Amino acid sequence: MAERSIIDQLDDAVSALLAKPAVEWPVEDPVVASLVGVAEELRGLPREDFRAQLRSAFAERDTMSTPKMKVDRIPQNFPAVSARLVFDDASAAIEFYKQAFGAEEIMRLTERSGKIGHAEIRIADSVIMLSDEYPEHGAVSPKTLGGSPLKMHLYVDDVDQLAERAVAAGASIVRPIADQFYGDRSGQISDPFGYTWIIASHKEEVSQEEMQRRLWAWEEKQPQEKDPQKHGRPEGFHSVTPYITVQQPGELIDFLTKAFGAEEKFRTTGSAGGMHAEVKIGDSMVMVGGAPHIPAMPTAIHLYVPDVDDTYRRALDAGATSLMEPADQPYGERSGGVEDLAGNRWYIATPFVPLTEIAKDLRTVTVYFHPIGAQRFIDFLTNAFGASELMRHEGNEMIMHAKVQIGDSVIELGEARFPSQPLPTAIYLFVDDVDARYEQALKAGGISMQPPTDQDYGDRNAWIKDPFDNVWYIAAPKAVQ
Amino acid sequence: MSQATESDERLLIEAAQKDPSRFAELYEQNFHRVYAYVARRVRDRAETQDLTAHVFQQALANLGKFKWRGTPFVAWLYRIASNAIADQARRKVREVNDQPNPVTEASAPTDIEQVERRALLFQAVETLPEDQRRVIVLRFAEEKSIREIAGELQRSEGAIKQLQFRGLENLRNRLSEN
Repeated sequence: MAERSIIDQLDDAVSALLAKPAVEWPVEDPVVASLVGVAEELRGLPREDFRAQLRSAFAERDTMSTPKMKVDRIPQNFPAVSARLVFDDASAAIEFYKQAFGAEEIMRLTERSGKIGHAEIRIADSVIMLSDEYPEHGAVSPKTLGGSPLKMHLYVDDVDQLAERAVAAGASIVRPIADQFYGDRSGQISDPFGYTWIIASHKEEVSQEEMQRRLWAWEEKQPQEKDPQKHGRPEGFHSVTPYITVQQPGELIDFLTKAFGAEEKFRTTGSAGGMHAEVKIGDSMVMVGGAPHIPAMPTAIHLYVPDVDDTYRRALDAGATSLMEPADQPYGERSGGVEDLAGNRWYIATPFVPLTEIAKDLRTVTVYFHPIGAQRFIDFLTNAFGASELMRHEGNEMIMHAKVQIGDSVIELGEARFPSQPLPTAIYLFVDDVDARYEQALKAGGISMQPPTDQDYGDRNAWIKDPFDNVWYIAAPKAVQ
Repeated sequence: MSQATESDERLLIEAAQKDPSRFAELYEQNFHRVYAYVARRVRDRAETQDLTAHVFQQALANLGKFKWRGTPFVAWLYRIASNAIADQARRKVREVNDQPNPVTEASAPTDIEQVERRALLFQAVETLPEDQRRVIVLRFAEEKSIREIAGELQRSEGAIKQLQFRGLENLRNRLSEN
């Protein structure tokens, strides 16, 4: 018999001791022998639940027999109202809040499985109660619900420092820290568990009248900046417009017209000497441009149509090649795919539910990115353009599919899984403030191709290339600059 | 017992005599010793638990009669325990006549030093690193097999055995420190 390790030898002896206490198990190793001695003494170790039950039996009797006994009806150091948050991983949440907000753990009650039934943490002078999920008792986390209607508000001395600390611990910035009209410097962050925190430092005493005045003043400024019609964003355009660059743009427009019923709205000669055209497909605008001397940038598009089979057939008739015949997909749509003559990929789909039920701003033409490093790409969009992730589906430890909101548009993406896929593309992106977005995009890792410039076609725009080789034309009509 | 803790204990007893809610503190302070005392005389776990509960119930009921004479409170608890064990043994003898005479055994002088050592050991379990503590409690208090514990804690059997080894090693070291 191979010699057993002392750890196994000890367990052999302990097992024998627990099974047959009267029979002495031979132990030769002196270390093991000394530990078996301890184990013998441990036999009959009291059960924790027995000890706790007996204690609570005394406690109950005490409360009944001694009405004078002082139990604080509101426990000391507790405010009357506390949030009780539910997490998909409460233990990780406690760690995060320790790191991000300097929380202090007051207590935790765990099931034997390790699941946290109840825990309490203190952040500054406030208590937060928390637990893992118990769906059977209606306790579900934002991850399960796909969001949370509850926002937490946290006042600190130095909000900028806190934001930095929270981001280092894994939070992401939802709204950058800025001075607010009501006298706070504040912003919003999203923690890794789906809760949003408004973090703030109070900077200025503002009377309620003054706040009201500033709010109205701010409101008056809003419509001009927010309403695309008023600030002159061309009709029909939303934040994100694919700019499909091909060597034969005229040919592509023909194809789009035949296959997808595109309507040509505008055609001119572009700044690089090629064609620039704008077409409408369904409810979406698409820019088409290029010339034989300009390198093509084929694009992948998720094209939501009323009848996928019909559109697929028309696309093939118009000269496209099939990537995939239409079929019902487990993710809630019937879809097929084609590649046009210029190498653009069209994922044609008819979802089982109305588009707006999938996402409010989802439209006919939805750009589909295949970055290598999908998470980094989402981070870039978030940091550069203030994008926010709407949903993701993960598999094989990668992001198979995600939807991201940018301004009033939605883009989709999935980790590149085939050599043909990265397919970097070009996007015309309407923003409120070209210069600010440009700076932010550079900070987020973009490379400048052209700093903000007033163009004679009416826009001020700046061009950057992101770390995934996509080109972003960050633009706003000159009128609002 | 040092002077300080002796007078602390006296104050605590006096407090509990006036306000029974303070008895829980006496219970916490003495639980392991009473349990270890009973466990040394009685092998069966259920019986040990019943008798331990009985000792504390008696102590609470008779606390008003306790007079401080300089002997530790736990000595009084040991006496209650000793009487309770003897009573129980006598009852058993009456029930089953052919058993060896357990009265003799129960009233034999108890090796208090051994009991105290065991109580210290029980207490020391609570100071182990959490993963070791859980393995020791599941193995010796809940009497589970290595396989059951591995399943419950989602660790390998090898890891559980190793935690058992480290736990026992730590306990041995803590006992030798005392």
